Amino acid sequence: MSDNGHNPYNPIPMHIVRAYYESNDRSLKTFELVFDDHKDCVDFFDNYNPGQFCQLSIFGKGEAPFGVASAAWEGEFVRFTVQKLGSFTQYIHTLKAGDPIGMRGPLGNGFPLDEWKGKNLVIIGGGCAFSTLYALTKHVHHPSNRPNFDQLIVIYGARTSGLCMYKHDIQSWYQREDMEIHQAIDVPEDDWLHHVGYVPDVVKEVAPLPDNAVAVVCGPPIMTKYTLPALVDLGFPPENIFTSLEKRMKCGIGKCGRCNIGSKYICKDGPVFSLAELQALPADI
Amino acid sequence: MYIIENNKIIQTLLDWSAKFDVFAPQQVENYSQYLQVSPDKELILSNIHNTRFPPKAFFLPQSEVMLKYNANINKLEEYVSIPKQRLLFGVRPCDAKAIKLLDTVFCTEEYHDPYWKNKRDATIIIGMGCNDPCQTCFCTTVGGSPFNHDGLDALITEVDGALFVETFNEKTNELFNSFSKATKEQEKHVHLIQKSTESGMNKAFETKGLKQNLDQIFESEYWTQISESCLGCGVCTFLCPTCFCFDIVDEIYRNQRVRNWDTCMFRIYSQEASGHNPRPTRKERTRQRLMHKFSYWLDHVGEIGCTGCGRCVRYCPVGLDIRAMLRTSYEFEREVVNV
Repeated sequence: MSDNGHNPYNPIPMHIVRAYYESNDRSLKTFELVFDDHKDCVDFFDNYNPGQFCQLSIFGKGEAPFGVASAAWEGEFVRFTVQKLGSFTQYIHTLKAGDPIGMRGPLGNGFPLDEWKGKNLVIIGGGCAFSTLYALTKHVHHPSNRPNFDQLIVIYGARTSGLCMYKHDIQSWYQREDMEIHQAIDVPEDDWLHHVGYVPDVVKEVAPLPDNAVAVVCGPPIMTKYTLPALVDLGFPPENIFTSLEKRMKCGIGKCGRCNIGSKYICKDGPVFSLAELQALPADI
Repeated sequence: MYIIENNKIIQTLLDWSAKFDVFAPQQVENYSQYLQVSPDKELILSNIHNTRFPPKAFFLPQSEVMLKYNANINKLEEYVSIPKQRLLFGVRPCDAKAIKLLDTVFCTEEYHDPYWKNKRDATIIIGMGCNDPCQTCFCTTVGGSPFNHDGLDALITEVDGALFVETFNEKTNELFNSFSKATKEQEKHVHLIQKSTESGMNKAFETKGLKQNLDQIFESEYWTQISESCLGCGVCTFLCPTCFCFDIVDEIYRNQRVRNWDTCMFRIYSQEASGHNPRPTRKERTRQRLMHKFSYWLDHVGEIGCTGCGRCVRYCPVGLDIRAMLRTSYEFEREVVNV
């Protein structure tokens, strides 16, 4: 997004249209935001690519980055799922439909969808980091995008069934003929019909084929740490394994200096990197 | 090249004050500091020591209002700072070069930082060459010189009590065109003095291969050793002319969003909400500071992100010397980075 002549620190005025809990422990809440000014909406969707993030901004409280959890075709709104963790997210969790909120973005690079054209997609997510992968899956589902990719396999793990996000929609994915969905929880529960175990083990079990395929991994650091080597063992070359990184950020546009790994800024050069790119960077994660 | 007599400087600056806010180094306690010029204050132009604070604060203030708002109705109130025309006088070449380096951070093709850019566009910088570089200076080691032009609109060289001015653009030509011009002979003499001062400065550390060496010893014991006595006070970064990291915070009672200088030397700087911290100890934080200046800057713009002003050496409370740290780096065995 080019911003010459415009203040990139000014938040876009938005309103919340829908707010609902995702998890039964109320730690995850989803917000759908609409633009107050239609011009901002047009600008946003001209630039938005799944995998990008935004800074949510509340005057008097501050800002924090969140991955976008919706695809452009879903409508003129932007979805975020927020985990209640610090003071800012605790405040966000008190917001409801009708409340105003600011947003800066879209920020970062997003997934390299052009590069992935014609390939099989293996999407692997864990916990609330699945949000941008949900956006990616939704993007691929659209009839005009679906022919750009071959097979679609989604593996999504959560600690418990109560922490599984986007439940109703994901339930409907089992009926789709154009994809495979594998859900997993860490420990067995009654009535759970899907995988039980950690995501890296489920990946080994599902064993997606590396031929003409890219794998995208988003999850907590411990999951990512063990899933990346599992994919390498399955024969995925590092250039075809992608992940999205997180760091503490402030400006989101590569100025404030704190989110670097080596000479790359996660906010500006990322958050999406291939494993090959990460291997070339110092271990400052 | 123009000539100003030493005793005419104050009057000249006061004349210019009609058009600009004019700042020049003046004595404050034991240090010199940039203050607005006034008839009753003496200037400290050729002091052996540079000002304690670099002039970066004229463009990136220690604390700066970014947005004003009404939190009650969640409304942004238009905030446009219209900077006054300013003239900085007596800026040392190391500090001016740092400002030029910071332009590459704040004014990229993708995003112009309006706060930095507005102030840069409204400021003329007239430099003062260093005839007498001090013990902690090492500008020539990192690609600068005591009479470097980078970031300056004009440069003054003092020779035998007279000030010779080289102007680099129309803005400063206009300011000086009423002054008498130096003769060819004088110009030659000035350049000779500049050269001999520059060549009198010793190399503080080897920069050839430094980046490659630092990249390779990323996982080495070296970083633990050099950071052992560091207190993590952050003075090296706050007084550094090229350090630019900032934090953005909301000042609730003033209804303002503010940016403040921040430092990679603090633990909280990279602390994430989950509790994870990628730089949990002084080792990682010292590594970040040095790697940023001597490796990452080179990746970004092909230049070292240090201009050799020596403030971090002079003001470190435990006497850590970045020059010695970098010299030591060569003693560590090259190890292959293990990702």
